[in-house]
Amino acid sequence: MTDASDPTPQPPGPAADAGADVLARGHLHPAILLLRFVDALRQSAFPALVGFAVDRWFLVVALVLFLLQLGHSVVRYLTLEYTLTADELRIREGLLHRQERRIPLDRIQDLGFESTLLRRGLGLVVVMVETASGRGVEARLDALSREQAEHLRDVLLAARPAHADGAGAVTGEVGGDPAPRLGPPPQQPEWLVHRSTTAELLGRGATDLRLGAFAVTGYAAWEFADQLGFFGQMTGVLDDLQRWLLSLPPWLLLTVLTALLFSVMAVGLVTSTLGNLVQFHGFMLVLRGDVLLRRFGLLTTRQKTLPRARVQRVTVEQTWLRRLLGFAVVKADSAGGSRTDGQDTAGGWDVVVPLTRATTAHALLPALLPGIEHTTFSWHPGSKKLVLRTALQGVLLAAAATAAMWWRLGPMALFALLLVPIWTLLGVLIWRNLGWARGDDFFALQHGIIGRTFACVPTAKVQAVVVRQGPLGQLLGVAELTVYVAGGSPTRLPDLTLADARALSRQLADRAARAAAADW
Amino acid sequence: MADAPPPRPARRLALRVVPYWILGDGLTSLVLAALAWFLLRPWLADNPWHKDQWAEWWPIGERVLLVLCLMLLALAVLVPPINYLRWRYDFRSDLLVMRYGILFVEERTVPVRRMQHVDLSRGPIERLFGLATLVVFTAGNEGSAFRVPGLPVQLARELRDRIVQMRGDGRL
Repeated sequence: MTDASDPTPQPPGPAADAGADVLARGHLHPAILLLRFVDALRQSAFPALVGFAVDRWFLVVALVLFLLQLGHSVVRYLTLEYTLTADELRIREGLLHRQERRIPLDRIQDLGFESTLLRRGLGLVVVMVETASGRGVEARLDALSREQAEHLRDVLLAARPAHADGAGAVTGEVGGDPAPRLGPPPQQPEWLVHRSTTAELLGRGATDLRLGAFAVTGYAAWEFADQLGFFGQMTGVLDDLQRWLLSLPPWLLLTVLTALLFSVMAVGLVTSTLGNLVQFHGFMLVLRGDVLLRRFGLLTTRQKTLPRARVQRVTVEQTWLRRLLGFAVVKADSAGGSRTDGQDTAGGWDVVVPLTRATTAHALLPALLPGIEHTTFSWHPGSKKLVLRTALQGVLLAAAATAAMWWRLGPMALFALLLVPIWTLLGVLIWRNLGWARGDDFFALQHGIIGRTFACVPTAKVQAVVVRQGPLGQLLGVAELTVYVAGGSPTRLPDLTLADARALSRQLADRAARAAAADW
Repeated sequence: MADAPPPRPARRLALRVVPYWILGDGLTSLVLAALAWFLLRPWLADNPWHKDQWAEWWPIGERVLLVLCLMLLALAVLVPPINYLRWRYDFRSDLLVMRYGILFVEERTVPVRRMQHVDLSRGPIERLFGLATLVVFTAGNEGSAFRVPGLPVQLARELRDRIVQMRGDGRL
């Protein structure tokens, strides 16, 4: 297999692109030098500051740093060249350490555009090329002009061989010439799949339960202030404050503390709401041909293409608050991207719909997974042994905790027995939310404790299936089924009966093998 | 579920994987046990911090440590044969199936055409026994490596070639 992921050393000289039809070729935009200049200035600002304030030697350090940075970017600007041919994207760069990276077009999973406020002012776009290597972004073309980038994308999408569409209808031949059209293709009509309203984005921010993130920021700020010796001066003030607080009557103190707590929460709410508004401003999901396009962002605008055939898994996620209010977030995994359930990737790359009504979210699925509308899912509940298993786990845990704490606490250690009902309740909740269904081309799963996540995997994308039994599972005859796809975290289905799990595993693996054979 | 569960895979590993595991894991366990008994024990015995409280507990603690060390060694000898008895793998049409584990039993199924690349890995002790581990990678990042240990080198090579031949040029 000619894997694109390792940069192949290439003999110098332009001989490499002889022969093949060149569809597009270009360099970085010159304005990148300006950006890099600003970057270099910013990076050497601190040593320079120290230089003026403390020791003149730091000025030299700052200068060297500055020149190195600038030199590096100039070299990169002068040497980087990308070439798009009918079957691969080549990126060549470097003066001393030359490297040429070749990415076969059919290995490209995803193309992302990103442009910060400054870059937008200059009409620049960062182009990110993703392959399935699992490292996320495979190649990054920092700052092309917008026209260049759009031309590149159009040509790339047009040159994508025919077999990229649809898991079942696969005809493409590897060696044969897929006859890509030269130049940008005629514009295909765009279908608006979803446009986020401001109300939805506000809702997303308000139901964003990441007060934890806010706490982390607060802690970082506190640490920073501590490092600056800020607190030495503050202690006096704080002592006064403390004395003043203690002198207050208890009810007033309580009110002050509650107000403080609420203001912290309010600030968290406001920041997360603002953050979401800025990040997802004007979110639009558009279907052009067979490619999903997302555009969003206020300060940093992002554009991402995702060919539908590359979707590895779609999840509809509801945290408990959003579930209560009937809202959901839709996310799609493509190969190469990695995240675990419920986690947001930086930049919101995997978000397909920031927030919408849960019913709307499910109605949108056919746009993401074509063919799902013809699939009838017959839902199976999880095995009731799940509750038994969690309860048993609770018993074991409680026994261990009681034994461990007995010689310290005496009979008080019996409080650990509370773990048993808690664990049992947990089991009941998990069981109530658990369900799975297998259609012909899709495998769906619903799980959660208080919140709920719906996940749908096209069976053709399955990479591997694992049936696993822990010690308790062996005792009760239940097993966990894990379905691996190329993107995102594996999909886990706990507590099936062993026979069910093995049969399901066989069906999924057979289906995947057939799909792989058809691809080939 | 209408379909019957598939038959369990049939092939076993090479028998000499047992001495290899005993030697490989046994060495680690031996070193660990020796460290615990000859270094940790004297150090704990004249522990300077809680001398008075420790004094009455120490004989029990010493015995616990001894039992732990012996258990470590016993496990290093006992686990490999059981593991060998449990390990099964096979090709079922286009699928590679492996089933193994004592506490956690796993049955992993990987379509051959989904494999991205195949490695043969051979450690120093492994080479001594003429064994090899077949490692297959699927696309994706988490848990995408699947290993079949304890194969005779010749067989491992054959399996690898067979996979490469079957796989052709797979796509995602």
